[in-house]
Amino acid sequence: MNRWSLRAQNLGALAVRPKVPVGVTPADVVHAENKWRLLRYRPRHLRFKTPVLLVPSLINRHYVLDLMPGKSLAEWLVERGHDVFVIDWGTPGDEDRYLTFDDICDRYIGRALRKAAAYGPSGKAHVLGYCLGGTLAVIHAAVRPEHVASLLCIAAPVKFGGSAGGQDSLLEAWTRLSTFDVNSLVDAFGNVPWQLMQSAFHMLRPTMGLSKAVHLVDRAWSDEFLDGFLAIETWSNDNVSFPGECYRTYIESIYRKDELAMGTFALSGIPARLENIHCPVFAISFEHDSIVPADSAKALTDRVGSKDKTHLHLPGGHVGAVVSKAAADRLWPKLSDFWAQRDDLRNALPPAPAVAH
Amino acid sequence: MWNAWKKAFDAWEDASARYLETVLKNRLLLTPAGAALAQLTKTKALVDKTLATSLGALGLATKRDQERTLHLLNRLESRLLDLEERLDERTDKKP
Repeated sequence: MNRWSLRAQNLGALAVRPKVPVGVTPADVVHAENKWRLLRYRPRHLRFKTPVLLVPSLINRHYVLDLMPGKSLAEWLVERGHDVFVIDWGTPGDEDRYLTFDDICDRYIGRALRKAAAYGPSGKAHVLGYCLGGTLAVIHAAVRPEHVASLLCIAAPVKFGGSAGGQDSLLEAWTRLSTFDVNSLVDAFGNVPWQLMQSAFHMLRPTMGLSKAVHLVDRAWSDEFLDGFLAIETWSNDNVSFPGECYRTYIESIYRKDELAMGTFALSGIPARLENIHCPVFAISFEHDSIVPADSAKALTDRVGSKDKTHLHLPGGHVGAVVSKAAADRLWPKLSDFWAQRDDLRNALPPAPAVAH
Repeated sequence: MWNAWKKAFDAWEDASARYLETVLKNRLLLTPAGAALAQLTKTKALVDKTLATSLGALGLATKRDQERTLHLLNRLESRLLDLEERLDERTDKKP
């Protein structure tokens, strides 16, 4: 059968195609609090003693890091011998409109980090933050460095002004608009509706939908591509709303006033200065990332106090570069190598108990 | 043929995206759009507040009251977990 016949057949059956299983790497809940949970992927054969904590974005589901079998960063890391934990932020309820930035970035991440770090011999864990999760991890590490063995940020914005070649990026321009009233938005909705945020992300590149459709037709002959495409679509349409008070701080202090980059942001009253970060730092940005410009992500390695710091700029977009087949060849080994080189105890370990809280 | 068309499409898509980016950054468009959104949210907040005040006058718990109570319960749970952690630290308990 030629490619056009396969394309026609696969596209015709798209609506009835079996759902792609997402986020299926076996994991146990080691802690649960409010709506969030800390999951520990079941270790297969631990080679590295220092646990790895994955901090995903607040507004997307955590399973982007465990998309589907064969395209899962978590699964790959477990196979490689890492002890991997991930924060599942869950779905905020209406009452979570009062959750503050300090609650999430200090209390919740702090607890997740301490719980994960307790599984290692040094009481520290490697932290990987993706997107907004990276920003949260950076702020946490600047204020509470005790349990952070290293900090690895993938497409994590740190600088929020003039990060598109000296000019404001689209998101920066929108949030800095004098008529954009974040207070009335939070007062009206409580949690900021995911639909509103998703529309904004779509507006970053309005032609993206059309481009995706053409790309789908182009590659529809491949079942592997279709499964990956549908898994990413499932994830990208499965969003959560942003807790209101936390959003207010995020937009007012971090976006509008660029307080993190300026060194004036405080978490729980403690200054969060990037120069206070002294652990090994690895920042990764992507060439075609329309959400986080490279300059915004690179600001981390420019400003941290660490001597051991690396910035890597890779081809690809905000999501595809992390979960695609290319990511498995190009990106994931770099993450594991970064930790392996900084994990001086590489002997096999007895598996730690999977504790249900 | 398809490949040539796709190449042309990609070029068009890239050019269009760049053009739309300049449009979407234009303050002449953004300022009124922001003002309209602010007006809508202010109206919604006002309606909600009026409704809550009416319910409050009848002695009924409003949605906001319930949210506050639930939030305080969640916060209490977090504080208890803090205490539990401190106790564990004291007894040097490992997971």
